[in-house]
Formats: sequence, structure tokens, C-alpha cells
Amino acid sequence: MAHPLLVVEDVHKTYDGFKAISNLNFYLYEGELRTVIGPNGAGKSTFFDLISGRAKPNTGGKILFGDIDLTQRNEYEINRIGIGRKFQTPSVYAEHTVLDNLVLSLKGPRGVFASLFRRLSSEDRDRLDELLKLIRLDGKRAWKAGQLAHGEKQWLEIGMLLASEPKLLLIDEPAAGMTDEETHRTGELLLSLAGKHSLIVVEHDMTFVRQIARDGQVTVLHQGTVLCEGKFDEVQSNPKVREVYLGRGKH
Amino acid sequence: MTTRVKIEIGLVAAIGLFLIVVFPLLNAYGVVSNFTINLWGKYLCYSLLAISVDLLWGYTGLLSLGQALFFSLGGYMIGMHLMLMIGDLGVYAQAGKNPNGLPDFMIFLGHTVLPDFWKPFYSLGFALLMVLFVPGLVAYVFGFLAFRSRIKGVYFSILTQALTYCGALMFFRNDMLMGGNNGFTDFKRIAGYSLTDPVTYRWLYIASAVMLVAVYIGCRALSRTKFGLVQQAIRDGENRVLFSGYAASHYKLFVFVLAAMIAAIGGALYVPQVGIINPSEMTPEKSLEAVVWVAVGGRATLIGPIIGAIGINALKSWATKAYPDAWLLILGGLFITVVLLLPGGVVSIPGKIAAYWKKRSAKADSSQS
Amino acid sequence: MASQLYRRILFIFLALASSLTALAADTPRQVVVEAILAENAAARRERVLSLVGRGDEDVAALFAAWRGDQLFIYQTAEGARVPVQLTGEKDGEGSQTALKVSDGQPLLDAAGNPLRLRAGDLVAVEHNAMLRRAMKSVLDLLDLSAADPGVRIRAITTIGFAQDQEKLPALQARLAEENNSRVQKALREAIALIQLKAGNDDTKLEGLKELEKLHTLASTDFLKAALRDAETAGKPALIDAARRALNAVETHRTLVNLFGTMFRGVSLGSILLVVALGLAITFGLMRVINMAHGEMIAVGAYTTYIVQNVFGSGLSLSPFGFSISLPGLNATGLAYESYFIVALPLSFLAAAAVGIALERGIIQFLYRRPLESLLATWGVSLMLQQLFRLIFGANNVQVSSPSYLSGNWTFFDIIFGWNRLFVIGFAVVIVAGVWLVLTKTSLGLLIRAVMQNRGMASCMGVRTERVNMLTFGLGSGLAGLAGAFVSQIGNVGPSLGQNYIVDSFMTVVVGGVGSIAGTVISASSIGLADQSLQQILGNPVLGKICVLIAIILFLQWRPAGIFVTRSRSLDE
Repeated sequence: MAHPLLVVEDVHKTYDGFKAISNLNFYLYEGELRTVIGPNGAGKSTFFDLISGRAKPNTGGKILFGDIDLTQRNEYEINRIGIGRKFQTPSVYAEHTVLDNLVLSLKGPRGVFASLFRRLSSEDRDRLDELLKLIRLDGKRAWKAGQLAHGEKQWLEIGMLLASEPKLLLIDEPAAGMTDEETHRTGELLLSLAGKHSLIVVEHDMTFVRQIARDGQVTVLHQGTVLCEGKFDEVQSNPKVREVYLGRGKH
Repeated sequence: MTTRVKIEIGLVAAIGLFLIVVFPLLNAYGVVSNFTINLWGKYLCYSLLAISVDLLWGYTGLLSLGQALFFSLGGYMIGMHLMLMIGDLGVYAQAGKNPNGLPDFMIFLGHTVLPDFWKPFYSLGFALLMVLFVPGLVAYVFGFLAFRSRIKGVYFSILTQALTYCGALMFFRNDMLMGGNNGFTDFKRIAGYSLTDPVTYRWLYIASAVMLVAVYIGCRALSRTKFGLVQQAIRDGENRVLFSGYAASHYKLFVFVLAAMIAAIGGALYVPQVGIINPSEMTPEKSLEAVVWVAVGGRATLIGPIIGAIGINALKSWATKAYPDAWLLILGGLFITVVLLLPGGVVSIPGKIAAYWKKRSAKADSSQS
Repeated sequence: MASQLYRRILFIFLALASSLTALAADTPRQVVVEAILAENAAARRERVLSLVGRGDEDVAALFAAWRGDQLFIYQTAEGARVPVQLTGEKDGEGSQTALKVSDGQPLLDAAGNPLRLRAGDLVAVEHNAMLRRAMKSVLDLLDLSAADPGVRIRAITTIGFAQDQEKLPALQARLAEENNSRVQKALREAIALIQLKAGNDDTKLEGLKELEKLHTLASTDFLKAALRDAETAGKPALIDAARRALNAVETHRTLVNLFGTMFRGVSLGSILLVVALGLAITFGLMRVINMAHGEMIAVGAYTTYIVQNVFGSGLSLSPFGFSISLPGLNATGLAYESYFIVALPLSFLAAAAVGIALERGIIQFLYRRPLESLLATWGVSLMLQQLFRLIFGANNVQVSSPSYLSGNWTFFDIIFGWNRLFVIGFAVVIVAGVWLVLTKTSLGLLIRAVMQNRGMASCMGVRTERVNMLTFGLGSGLAGLAGAFVSQIGNVGPSLGQNYIVDSFMTVVVGGVGSIAGTVISASSIGLADQSLQQILGNPVLGKICVLIAIILFLQWRPAGIFVTRSRSLDE
């Protein structure tokens, strides 16, 4: 098998004595769509924080993206390497228009001077139009992002993520606050991305997980470590998983 | 180009023309008094300071209480040149006790030789360069440290306040050789023109007006670039900006240095017009006063700070004469009222009235039907 | 033989004993009598000079009378010669009261009635230039035998610093009978200093050795001079001794400076702590930037001022043209000085009241907008400062410290001011009090609950509004207490608060926002750093600038408590 795109080995993270992540090992291959599930407090968000540079692991752990040691990089460097993140609560620039939100996210140089002097090229404009259609906000391109509905903000954020054309997408609860129809469409979109991009999706909604997991791998996190990994059906029938997570019958 | 932009360009051109050409002409023909033109020259310098505050606070979300420091540093740099230009007109020189052409305060302190760091300031060009360079450098070093360790929000305000305080303490010292308590004053000439001649003041006024219009246009252009987008994105969601791949600290550092330089330009034009600069100009209170102008005028707009700076200073000129005891009460009260009741400042009033009328007419329509 | 020897020893013993009693009986007055009755000028001078270092007020008065020709010799009927002093108003016959020089009592006649004598009938006691000079040297050294040890020490030190060889014997005589250890030390120092100027090298050496033992700070300049002299004269023994003495002094100075700096640092830290503690609550716990915090301190200070005047002679103020007169209790002594005890709680309450009004009126609307609360409270700060100016005048007002806070105590050459000692104790008490309030009372529990999660606490039925109000009141009240305190160590004026606001914010920021323990540590470290840098740089302003720079650099290394982003939503 090919060399994994993302390697997480032996990673620990404690906050004030609380073990958010302990002895985490995780491998993701290029083009893969991985779904991560786990009860509240399982460490899913911390896991994303560690990959995206928002938090640093305790010493000794290893997080590699290709050949790059992510523990030595900060947030914006990691983003530039090609790892995009969508947050659990939609994080868009509320005072900017929908279009400007996408302009800000468009792939391209991020330096101070580039942003002072570079103008949008016609390819850029085409790309923006394309993205606006894809996330169905074409008619609202001049709206302030803060005025959008919750679901629309989720889509906008996904659009922003796509605009930066990352190699790896970290997506935290994309379906939260969406209607069933929107959720389904989101699932379709994510599936269409797999292959070209690699994705890690954290999700609570089991219908949605079933939709996007298909025959891909599902990772179950529990108490900051990997409880089990496998196909959705295997995971669902795993007694340990049922006990800690599904067994509560809540999801 | 949209109609809105056209209207804006037209307005800026009209106001700019008035400030730069018409007003000085009125002065030349005696319609506007020399006192008034000097006063307005001062207001325009304050407007530059206000824009620098707004560029940081209104546009980037950084409430800097250090702008008075940069304003004063700019003033001190040009002040050094003006002190040296006094030359043979100084008190000691007139008494024949100043063979080496030192500023009077140095003779008073017992120095006989001009310190080396003063020497290049004989050149006006060098002084002008330093007006930008010194405040820019201070801002760069401080900003680099502060933004690197991600000091933001109120902590940034507190630290910049401390920085300003620190600067004032330094300049109060006599052995800094920057005039100590009294600072620099009694200037005689600038670029060969006498500072007792009203014509010189008219040209200083024109220079201030040109700088203000230029800075206005520059900042307006800046806010329309992608840099402007990032800047405002930092204000609204700094952490998010990092995850879009922007090094927020670099952007903030750039704005901080730029704003310091704009404030310094204001200070450099201010000092020859008022004829004095001393450390009491670089206290945190002075910075806060500039923040009041911006808050009252309307932050995150470029016209707001200018309206605020001119309006409040005009009010101050009047109130400190008419009600000297009440001025600070008025200023403080005004500030509290604006913060609590009118966060958008004066410039938001037309919008509010329009919205009110719209709502009212909508109500009237619905009650009619 | 044995009995003869025995008798001899007995004789010597008796002789010794009698001479001792004679010496003891020789009061300065009697010496003056002896001088007056002495046969010749030389003997007279010798007796007068024997008073050097032993003089007292009586002697001074008698010498003055002598030089003023008011001393006479009265011949009794028996032919005894009694020196008398004529004083008081002359009556019709020109006669005056006669006081015996020997004991200052009136001279009585045989019947026991006071005698009145006429100057013209008596022989005035003579004096010449030599004698007057002798008297002057006695008078110069009069303070050496003053009753107050403090006066003695001052006189001794002055003599020592003058290095006047002629006064050496007097000092040595004094040392023999001095029994106060501090005065003894001063004497030894003065003697050694004078010895430095002695003609022969042995004496100089002796002086240097003594100074090495004493290593007093005051001797530095003299030792340096002695070293220079010795170097010019090229005398290795003296050079060596002078160097060793100087080293001893320097070592001592280093120690004194070290401990003195530490003490001043801790006391400055305590002031910072007292001043910043209120801020640690309003800013640290509530995240409210109260720029008017300094004015809360001023409220406390002015309250102290009012209380002091009410205890004293009353106070009349004329704010806005109204005239308000506060009657005074005209208390004196201890009752007056106890005003401070009353002022403390009142300062707390006054500032707390202003703080609560501020919270209700303005801050409660701005909890979600910290930068704007900063601005609005700055407006409040401007207005309060102007109000102080209008009510109490633009100038500083006088707040006098109670006597138990002025004064100081010197130990090991380190000066411990009572007020500095007091502020340390005060800080300890206040911190302990705040800690108890926050951890052991139900209010403290509520405060901590609300500050940690306002929404959650409110859901659980905590009346968050009330808790906010009380917390802010507590923080402001503490500022008021600080104000009562700083009124004792600095000026009280309208801009008093501005002097403390920057320092207070820095203290809280360095300590880590929201941590009382952090504030304690940071206040004492900043205090120590400030004092040490002042000591090292020899300049208070430069020291302060360095501290500010150090704080900015410190935050590079440890921005903890400043960069808090542990939350699910990105921008809190």
C-alpha cells in the first residue's frame, strides 16, 4: 500500500491535567474519505486542532503530512501546505459579502504585499462564479455573510474551503443545522470530492455518516484514543462501540 | 464603476479642492482670518491622527493607545530640525554665548557641543525621512513583539498605553537631550521661511490639507484591495483568518507601522503650526482623546474620524473659553453617550434617520391598506 | 611587717575611694567655682578646659554670665570667698538677687533670708581672651554630654566629620564615661576619623583599623581621602589598611543596599498589590476594563481627606458655587490620630458605592464589548477627575499621616519606614481578606460561578446581575482602600489615579488575568525589579522604563492568560 498522506502516531494532548487525546494513532491515505465518530468529549475537535495547528501535542508525538512535520508549523502555514478546515460552528466573515468571503479564501499568494497589489484575474472570477453556483449562493453574492441562514453559512464555509483547493479537508459536523435535503446534498458534495481530495469528516448524524461512509473507513474515537476502525456496519455492530456510543441509543 | 463610487470621487474632489485651494485663497484675500486658517491647519493634523487611530481600531480591531506617541515622535523629529534652524536668532546666540549653534535648552543644561545624533537634522530632508522612519521603527519593533505573542484586544490597548507612558517618561528626562519638560519651542523659521509670517502658515495649512486628502485617498484605495478585506476579516474573526492561510500578525504589523507613520505625518505638520512640542503630548490621555474623535465621528469609516477630529476640537476651542470648568465633563459625557447610545458615531445618524422614516412609512402604508 | 603592709594597702584603698568620691562630687558647677577661685589664669584655664565634654546647660548659662560680667566673688563675714551670679531686676538701690555658682541656689544671710547685693559693691570675676576661647571649646562640645542620646550622636558625628584634632581628647574622655552603645559607636567612629588626620602614622593606622571594624557608610569619603593621602605619601602600610577599611565598608554597603532594596521592593510591591487587587477583580474576574479604576483610588483618598478634616477642624467645600461646611470634631492627640482607622472602612464604602453606580449606569450594558467598556469608563474617569477638581480644587490637598505611620526604624543601617512596614502588613491582610471572601463565603462562590460561565450560572438561578454589581463594588471598594493608603505616602490630587493606572494594569496582565495569586506574585516581582533596577541604574525613571520593557519582553516568553482560545467557537 502507498505511503499514507497523514500520519498521526503516539500523540498525547493534556489540558491542565485532563487527557483530551491519549496515545492516538491514525493514518489517512490520499483520496480517502474518512468519517470520525465518537461521543461528546471523545476528543474529535481536539484531534482537528492538533492537525490544523490550533493546538500543539505534548512532546514525543508525531504528526506528518507527507514529509512535513505539522507539529512544527502554525495555523496559517498548515493552511498554506494544503490542509483546510471547516469549523463546527460556521465561521464566516460576517461583515464581508458572500463574494468577498470566497475571494479571501481563493487559492493564491497570502502575503501582505501580494494582497496589496494583486487584482483578481479572469480565471479567478470564473472560479468564483463556479463556486457560487456550486454552493447555491449565486443570487446572494452581495449579501453580508452574517445575514445568511445557518445552513447557508455552512455551505458558504464549505465553499470557502473548496476555494482554497486544499489537499486535505478537515470537516467538523458539516450537516449541523441543515434540512434533510441540504444534508443529503452536502453528503453528495463530499463524496464527489473524495478521490481528488482527501477528507476527514467528523459527524454525529448517523444517517449522514451512513451516507458518506459507504464502504470507506469509519474511525471511532473514545476518551481521546481510537476505539476501533472499520466499515460502517462493522463499527456499528462492534459491542465496544455500542457500549460507549451507540448503546446510549441517542444517535 | 458604480454611481456610488462616482459620487464619492466627486465629493472627495470637491471637498479636497475647497480645503486645498479655495480656503487658502479666501485667506489670501482676507476673508478668512490668519487665526482661523492656523486653527484649521491644526484640525487637519488632528484628522490625520484620527485616521491613524481608525485604521487600527475601526478597520483592524486594534485599539491602539499609542498613537499620541507616534504623533509626538513625528513632531519631535521635525522639531529637532526647527530647533537647529533657530540658529543665530536664539536667546543665547543673541547674547553671543552660543558659538556652536546649539539649541538654547542644551546651553542651559551646560552642553557646549551638539550631540552627534542631532547633527544630521540640519537637513530638512533627513528630518522628514526621520519623521517616517523613527515612529515606523518603534511601531515595527513593538508591533513585532506584541503580535508575535498574539497580544490582542484589551491587552494590546493596555500595552500600547504602557508604551506611550514609557515614551513620555523618557522624553521628560533632560539627559535624553530632547528638551525635557519644556520640549521644543520658539521656532523661528522653516525651510528658510519665517514662522512669524502668515504666508508661511498658509502654506503649512495647504501642506496639511494636501496630506490629509492624500492619506484619505490612500486609505480608501487600501480598503478596496484584498489587503483591506483581510484587515477587516482580522477585526471580525482573527482566528478564522489564520485558518484561511493569512499570517494575521504580518498584516497587523503592516497596518500598525502604516498608522504610526500617518500619525507621525500629522505630528510633523502640527508642530510648526502650533510652535511647540513637549512630552505632555505623548501621554495615554492624548491617545484616548483621539479615540474619542473617532468614536464620536464614526469608526470604520474614513470620513468619521475627520468629522470627529474637527468637530470635537472646534467644540473644545469654544467650550474651553465659554465653560472652562465644564469642558472635561462635556467631553467625558459625550464619550459615554456615544459609546452607549450611538456606537456608529455621528456618520451613522443619517442612516438611522433614513431607516426610521422607512419603517414609519412602511407602518403608515400597512395601516392605510 | 604584715600588719604594716596591711595598713598601707588600706591607706591606698581609702585614698582611692576618697578621690573617687571627690570626682563624683565634682559637679560641673563646682568645677566652675574652682575655676573662679583659682589663683592664676593658667589654673583657671585648666579648670575650664576640664569641662570639655562634660558641660551641661548650667555651664553654658554660667559661662554666658561670666563673659557678661555677671559673676562676682562675695566675701562672707567669715572671710570665705563665695562666687555668686547676680540676676533679675535691679531694685531702687541697684541691688539684685544673688545665686550661688556652686548650686544655683540663692545666697542666704545668717538669718536664712535671701541676700540682695549690688554689683558695684563686689569684685567681678575676670576673664581674658584665652579663657574665653577655653569656654568656647567647652560650649562647642556641650552637646557631647546632652541628656538626649540623639543630640549626643549628632554632635559627635559633626565633630568627627570636621576631623578637628583639638577635640580628640574630649571625645576620648566622653568615650570613657559613655554607656549608650549607639553613642559609643558614634564616638569610636568620630575618634577614628579624627585619627586619620593625625600627625603620626601609628595613630592613622589605628584609626584605619578601627574604621575597618566599624565599616560605617559615612566613613567612605574620609577613607578615600586617606587612601589618596597615603598613596601620595607612598606609605604601603597605610595604603593597605585604607584599602582594607574601604573594602569592609563596601561589603557592608552592598549588603545594606541589597536588603534595603529588597525591603523597598517588597513595600513597593505591596503598594502595587493593594492598588492592583481591586483591578484583579474587576478586570481579572469580570474582564471589565475599568479605566476609572484610578479614580476609585482617588475617591478613597479624598474620603480619607474628608474624614481627617472632620476629626480636625472641619472642612468647607464649594463645589459648583454651593458652599458646604462640614463641622469638625476638633479631636486632638490619639483621638485625632485614630481618624485613619475610621477612614479605612469609609473609603471602602465610598468607592464601592461609586463603583456600583458605575456598574449599574454604564458597565452592565457593555459586558460583551470590552473595548467599549474601556472607552466609556475613560469618559467616566475624565468626568470624575474634573469633579474632584471642582469640589476639592485643582491643587493637591494635605493629608497628614498619623504619628504611628510617620517615623522610621533603622536597623543594620537599613531604614524601615513605618509606613512601608505598614503597607506590607496591610497588603497581607487585604489579600487574605479577599482570598477568604472568594473562597469561603457564599458570595465568593457565586462570584466565581458567574465569572466562569455567566450563562450557566444564570440558568441555575443565580442572580447574575446582582453578583456582577457586588463584584464590581468589591473591586472598587478595594481600590478605595488602596486610596486611603496611598493618601499616606503620596500627594492627593485630582489626577492621583492616573499615577497608578498603568502600573495596576501591568501588574494584573503580568500576573495572569483572573488569578489573585498571580497578581500577588507579579506585584512583588515588579516591585522588586523596579527597586533593583533603580538601584543598579541609579535613576528611578530609567528603572521604570526598563521595567515596562521587561514586562513587554516577559509577555513574549509567557503570554499565558493572555492568549485564551479554548472554546469551540472560533472567536470568543
